[in-house]
Amino acid sequence: MNKKIDFTLNGKAVSRDVPTHRLLLDLLRDEIGATGTKEGCGTGDCGACTVMMNGKPVNSCLILSGELAGADIVTIEGLKIGAELHAVQKAFVQDGGAQCGYCTPGMLMMSKALLDSNNNPSEEEIRYALSGNLCRCTGYAKIVQAVQDAAAMLRSKNP
Amino acid sequence: MSEELTVIGKPVTRVDAYEKVTGQIVYGYDLTLPNMLYGKALFSPKAHAKIKKIDISKAKALPGVVAVVTGADAPWTHGEAVKDKPFLAHGKVRYIGEPVAAVAAEDEDTAQAAVKLIEVEYEDLPVYIDPEEACKPGCVEIHEDYDGYRKAPFMVRGAAPNINEHFKLRTGDVAKGFAESDLILDEKYYVPIIQHAAMEPHSAHAQWDKESGRLTIWVANDAPFRALHEISEALAMDKEKIRFINPAQGGGFGSKGGLKCEPIAVALAFQTGGRPVRVKFNREETFISTLTRHAATVYCKSGVKKDGTLVAREMTIYWDAGAYAEKSPTVCIRGSLPAPGPYRIPHVKVDGYAVYTNKPVAGSYRGYGIPQGAWAGEQQMDELAIKLGMDPIDIRMKNIFVEGDMSYWGEQLHAVGLKETLIKATEAIEYGKKSPINKPGLKIGKGFACIQKPTRSPTTSNAGVTVNAQGEVTVFAGTVEIGQGCNTILSQVAAEELKVPMDKVIMHQLDTDVIPYDASTTSSRSTYHMGNAVRSASIHAREQIMEAAAPMLEVGVQELALGDGKVFAKDQPQQSLPIGEVVKRKLGINGVVRGEASYTYEIGKDLDLETGHSDHASAFYMYATQAAEVSVDEESGRVRVLRMSAAHDVGKAINPLNCEAQIEGGVVMGIGSAIHEELIIDATGKVRNPSFLDYHLVTSLDCPQLIPIIVECHEPEGPYGAKGLGEPGLAPTPAAIGNAVADAIGIRIYDLPLKPENVFWALQKNKKSAA
Repeated sequence: MNKKIDFTLNGKAVSRDVPTHRLLLDLLRDEIGATGTKEGCGTGDCGACTVMMNGKPVNSCLILSGELAGADIVTIEGLKIGAELHAVQKAFVQDGGAQCGYCTPGMLMMSKALLDSNNNPSEEEIRYALSGNLCRCTGYAKIVQAVQDAAAMLRSKNP
Repeated sequence: MSEELTVIGKPVTRVDAYEKVTGQIVYGYDLTLPNMLYGKALFSPKAHAKIKKIDISKAKALPGVVAVVTGADAPWTHGEAVKDKPFLAHGKVRYIGEPVAAVAAEDEDTAQAAVKLIEVEYEDLPVYIDPEEACKPGCVEIHEDYDGYRKAPFMVRGAAPNINEHFKLRTGDVAKGFAESDLILDEKYYVPIIQHAAMEPHSAHAQWDKESGRLTIWVANDAPFRALHEISEALAMDKEKIRFINPAQGGGFGSKGGLKCEPIAVALAFQTGGRPVRVKFNREETFISTLTRHAATVYCKSGVKKDGTLVAREMTIYWDAGAYAEKSPTVCIRGSLPAPGPYRIPHVKVDGYAVYTNKPVAGSYRGYGIPQGAWAGEQQMDELAIKLGMDPIDIRMKNIFVEGDMSYWGEQLHAVGLKETLIKATEAIEYGKKSPINKPGLKIGKGFACIQKPTRSPTTSNAGVTVNAQGEVTVFAGTVEIGQGCNTILSQVAAEELKVPMDKVIMHQLDTDVIPYDASTTSSRSTYHMGNAVRSASIHAREQIMEAAAPMLEVGVQELALGDGKVFAKDQPQQSLPIGEVVKRKLGINGVVRGEASYTYEIGKDLDLETGHSDHASAFYMYATQAAEVSVDEESGRVRVLRMSAAHDVGKAINPLNCEAQIEGGVVMGIGSAIHEELIIDATGKVRNPSFLDYHLVTSLDCPQLIPIIVECHEPEGPYGAKGLGEPGLAPTPAAIGNAVADAIGIRIYDLPLKPENVFWALQKNKKSAA
């Protein structure tokens, strides 16, 4: 069944006529062409498709289009602040937090979600927050370091 | 050059980081082509069966379906060492997950619906799960036409059924060696099937243009030139008619070489009237229908003198190839050869058998057979030491390869940084010192393991480097950026030789129409081979710029130097020209200077088929030692790695930040293979855990404290002294953890993974036998 869905994507109004069972992940990637959000498993196990929905991180492969009415969605394409990289993006570049980069958009969205609520997380809190985001390349060490450095950048901006 | 290095050896950030953190980079899985069709495959539900009948009529009749193909439409076979694999099943299936038919449709849902309408009748054949069973006399040949297949010249067919390669190493006389030994240990070890699980699943796009006769394939494949060759050979199509274009690749670890989705996409592309077809595997399909790492059963027998001197080692290794040969012959050869370990041993005998079974296809996997041999050999080194009352460090120090040693495969070794890795890795976890952790029911132990790893040799890399009139440098290199950081390393090489800032260097996208031949992005060969090629190509470009600049600056070429993107006179540095300006004055505003080079390890020689010997078996050897501290919960059997050091001899760290990143990633992958990963396949040949819910990758919570250590033992032939690093990261990890677990609980466990139930039952068994 198709339905007209209105929602906000990275600050812009979007209106689409889509089957209500269409996954948010597929809607973003296949219909809107926003392929920055990645598909790693399609079953909610790897976190590669993490986006922000109404300020909270979700696996976009587990969200149906029918749930989107009025939602505020932020994806990796909306993480930059104007032309400037978000602190987590800067820290991932500087610390080598991305290798193949396929888990990176999901990692960054989850890291942003953590830092939005806690700008001084402990290593344990970072590891716990990212435990649903799988990475096969890095061994997580440089990712955890990057989130710590991003937190420090954010604190120095907004002490 | 005696000049100081400006960017080599520096921890520069990755050149691809920006496009990765912004989500701009386009992976194979992201790619959409104009007017594209969606392909889906039907996978065999049977592990070994004849195909009696396929009915595609209902699928064909479904509105939106453009093409349906079966083996009859794709009568081609491919394979690197053995041409044994059909594009789509021909008359029979050999594993659950084998592509049998495929559909191209206007959208994904229609393609999936059409696949379900294909009806296939099967007739069951005997299913072989265990390689040792499959090669018993009287077994049915899984490949009844094996002897008729085209095979690589280095292959030796085994005497028993279903063996696709028998590797032999013969040095000295092991019977004599065991007779002279004071202590002999003989054990059986097992390493299960695991999977690469790169975060990007597999996909391929193909388009066939009838008018020009050209076939274009877009795929994240780590060896596009080899894949092109395989397709060309299979289809009997001229190579220049085929073009591979690489979108970005989201990891590989060995899984994305060879042909996986490509044959399905190609078979469909011939039937769509020129429209491109995309074939994407979802995660479950990636688990069952791409590649796995070889399970291995390793019989290892060692003889030593009382003082710890190794006298003889005999190993028999059964490599579980799965249903098709893929890389099994070369994994068998290059995994079995160094399996006895990095030690001076006068009497060595190794038999490696790669055996077909009715399971998903095993192929190359980071480490290429080294982890399996090390799991056996390095645990046995500890057992020998313990039985002799020696320190495990001392027994290794007594036998370990050092500079100038003659190896048991007949090659004199140089640039051997092994001893330093052993000392540094064990010191980093305070090996030999008791842990202060003391909790009831929790046992703490420490262990380590050493490895050596050859690289595929001889192989060739070609490269081009251009400098334009704007002073921008473009590198044309066939090394695939799979996440390992090659684009950064190769940019550093070009930037170093042309003395330009890193942001002036661009890596050209990999397109076989434009990029010169490279063997493959495998075997940790790229920094060395392609590094040498890019370095020479950059020097070639530099020489042309210097030649052109000499008359412009009115000094001899010998008087010129490069620095900061400029050519200048050595004694009058203010007399300078930007390199772009030199190109412009010489060739005009659109002028381009082209440097070219090729690198081959020319003295490399194949192994002798009877003895396994070669005096130049590998362009270089990578050495490493890793050391682990673990805790074992006696009640649950749960193993936790508390800290892990990893010392790797990289020759020269071209980028220390990237070296650390490679080591950390390798170690954590190795920890997964040591304590949780196992692709579980039941007696019918079905994979029981084809998802990330049931196949456990290491998460951020499972990681220990990681201590990466870079050891630099200069390799004279390598660029700036560099070797390779990608593969060894996970090779000694399970054996180091196994030794630490044995140290903790006093029980040796011979089968991986060290998951709680395995450790628990080992503890229970020990309790019983003690009682």
